[in-house]
Amino acid sequence: MAEKFDSLEEQLEKFVENIRQLGIIVSDFQPSSQAGLNQKLNFMVTGLQDIDKCRQQLHDISVPLEVFEYIDQGRNPQLYTKECLERALAKNEQVKGKIDTMKKFKSLLIQELTKVFPEDMAKYKAIRGEEPPP
Amino acid sequence: MGGERVGHAGMMENFSALFGGAEPPPPAAATALGFGPGKPGGPGAGPPPAAAAPQTVEDVARKAAAASGPFYLMRELPGNMELTGSTNLITHYNLEHSYNKFCGKKVKEKLSNFLPDLPGMIDLPGSHDNSSLRSLIEKPPICSSSFNPITGTMLTGFRLHAGPLPEQCRLMHIQPPKKKNKHKHKQSRTQDPVPPETPSDSDHKKKKKKKEEDPERKRKKKEKKKKKVGGSKGEELLVHFPTSLATLMLPGRDRTRN
Repeated sequence: MAEKFDSLEEQLEKFVENIRQLGIIVSDFQPSSQAGLNQKLNFMVTGLQDIDKCRQQLHDISVPLEVFEYIDQGRNPQLYTKECLERALAKNEQVKGKIDTMKKFKSLLIQELTKVFPEDMAKYKAIRGEEPPP
Repeated sequence: MGGERVGHAGMMENFSALFGGAEPPPPAAATALGFGPGKPGGPGAGPPPAAAAPQTVEDVARKAAAASGPFYLMRELPGNMELTGSTNLITHYNLEHSYNKFCGKKVKEKLSNFLPDLPGMIDLPGSHDNSSLRSLIEKPPICSSSFNPITGTMLTGFRLHAGPLPEQCRLMHIQPPKKKNKHKHKQSRTQDPVPPETPSDSDHKKKKKKKEEDPERKRKKKEKKKKKVGGSKGEELLVHFPTSLATLMLPGRDRTRN
């Protein structure tokens, strides 16, 4: 999985570095740096072409839109993953609690109904078979 | 969660499965209700129950008993094999490693902690400088589908005036402040000047000592960097630019490490 991203990562790093150098050239421009600037501009075009080529390997990758919110707010996108996992676990525990409670309720109801309607409950148990204890 | 996704694949499928598994849709067998003989066409009467799965002889006998017994509205129990929230789904999908990695220790809050080598002030909200990724999706730029090199005539549009940029346009040099004191003196070159917090006497002495060494160390460092750049793609730049620029040209990683 991770190898898929290596080439994209490399291309992006090169691109960012090229842009950084371009920024430095422009921030204090000297007439003699025109040739270098032209070269950097064309590096930028080839860089974009290279990044575009990486699309072929990554067509099956999906990115949740919520993660963009984190990046746009200048927050670490790993926080999104963290919150996602925490939310999943919390929900998991919540549902488990509900299931366990319902199982307890069921056995208690059967127990009480057996006291009041012993014959019907005997029939019920015959249909359902032996219930495993909760 | 599942609704706001780009595509359907990869690791996120596990996440959606995590949530999906926690609240399973009612199984086909559960929707089929068995009614007693006394209540034909009672409330909720639907099509006859369809046998979704192969049934054992015991199951058939039980169903027959249920139909003739005193119970109506009795339905099949959902199978125990189904994946529900009663199992630890993170363990089930082998995500303990990811869970421990992200939830075991504190994840740093800022984007610059995730992308330490990215130049510029990236911790500011994207809406400030119109660089948000969201806007890129909502309002995609109008452009052609291919990238063409900039030829001679087009390059004339990039002829610039000599001299430094005005102060307010120098966004490139603003870096997010880093907490490590070790790098403080180096960042002062690229960062906005920040008034120092009243240092104690001992700190002051240490700083003085460092300052005395500084010119000598700087010179050595410059020579070292020149050698490094000489062999790489930065060579052509060194021909044109003064040395102060050449030192800035070094890749971001090297700057932070040295």
